[in-house]
Amino acid sequence: MMDDEPIQTGRQLGLYSCHTCGRVSERQGHAAPDAPLACPRCGTHLHHRNPRSLERAWAYTWAAIVLYLPANLLPVMTTISLQGAVDHTILGGIHELWMNRDWGLAVIVFVASVAVPIVKIASLVLLLLSAGRNSTWCSRERTALWRGIEAVGHWSMLDVFVVVLLVGMIHFGPLAGVEPEPGLVAFGAVVVLTILGVSSFDPRLLWPDPADNPPQPNASPPPHE
Amino acid sequence: MPGLNIPQAAARPASAPAPEAASPVLVGHPGLVVCDECDAVHKRIRLSRGVVARCRRCGALLGRGHVVTPTGQLAFALAALVFLLIGNFAPLVTLDLQGIHKTVTMPHAIWLTAQAGEPITAVLACVTAIVFPAMLVLLRLYVLGSLIRGRVPPGFRFAMRALRFATYWSMVEVFLLSALVSIVRSAGIADLVPGMGLFAYAALTLLLTSTTAAGLHSIWKLGSRLGAG
Repeated sequence: MMDDEPIQTGRQLGLYSCHTCGRVSERQGHAAPDAPLACPRCGTHLHHRNPRSLERAWAYTWAAIVLYLPANLLPVMTTISLQGAVDHTILGGIHELWMNRDWGLAVIVFVASVAVPIVKIASLVLLLLSAGRNSTWCSRERTALWRGIEAVGHWSMLDVFVVVLLVGMIHFGPLAGVEPEPGLVAFGAVVVLTILGVSSFDPRLLWPDPADNPPQPNASPPPHE
Repeated sequence: MPGLNIPQAAARPASAPAPEAASPVLVGHPGLVVCDECDAVHKRIRLSRGVVARCRRCGALLGRGHVVTPTGQLAFALAALVFLLIGNFAPLVTLDLQGIHKTVTMPHAIWLTAQAGEPITAVLACVTAIVFPAMLVLLRLYVLGSLIRGRVPPGFRFAMRALRFATYWSMVEVFLLSALVSIVRSAGIADLVPGMGLFAYAALTLLLTSTTAAGLHSIWKLGSRLGAG
């Protein structure tokens, strides 16, 4: 391993990596730095930094934060039994599992429905704030954080599927029934919005290496393209 | 963890074509890999089976040694199609409450959710648990089936980009865990027997995870070799 060799970036060498098909392209010839480039193999637009990545990720994050309250305050389902109808929120459902001594299940649902969305939103805000300031602090760790929240993102859909399946399973008229409630839409929207927020954030913004922007008057792209 | 970086001179091909004046030319560099997450440039190396290449600078996954050949991937996709059909048409569970029998399938549960006044939730569950997994399997069959016979299928680029989208939004593994959670939660209400559909979904999860882990770059390359772009 030649770990001591300096690392060069695609932006320094004029190389573009296609995120769709992996082809590495080198731009040759004189063109405006912001001229649109399409990958010759698959047609995806090539950028050294995704355009308006921060704005889009902020928009999704704010929408997720706003919807987080109804997602947790409104009931996600109603159970009907001979004793009457009872509303359940996400947290209420976890509390119930815990009281029924289903410890393992309570932990799984807590992690998927409460911990993952909170950690994702908090991490997104941290990444967006630090990337907005061109921070060079702990770039490797922040990229790993981004990778982590991208990997666990869709597990929060767990509760949406659980309610849909319970609605399908428990419909015995007045004896026992489960009905979905509006909180579920808000919860599903939070999950989808955080996934969109994470995927529209360009992790290359976490690497604002000064050597990345060499003073080349003809070829240096603007900071955020 | 292999991952080499290259000196500046090596990045420029010795026989670079003359730059044209007006339109930029994009010259391919099959010998290089650029990290998607931090833009670091690495020299491409051949990975043996099961080996994983990570970026030297940020630790991102750059590639995996392919465990499954294209023919094998086609076989996996065919098996996945069979399990997908069983998983959606066979009952996930059978319930029994005081003599009333109920069998549950995912399409039926989604339909009931839509009927109960939550159509948006029903659509969300439908696309992530049924539509995108089905698209993922069918597009893999379409693309691989053609490429293996040495032909590039019509609409290859579009099919591949749709395949990438479907893979990203398919949530079969989450659905499987949800089915287990909902079975435990309803076990207190009714007597309940897991059905064929549940086992089919378990098999589908295994198949899809093992085929999608390698990513789509090898299929793009196969298409390129046969003349697509």
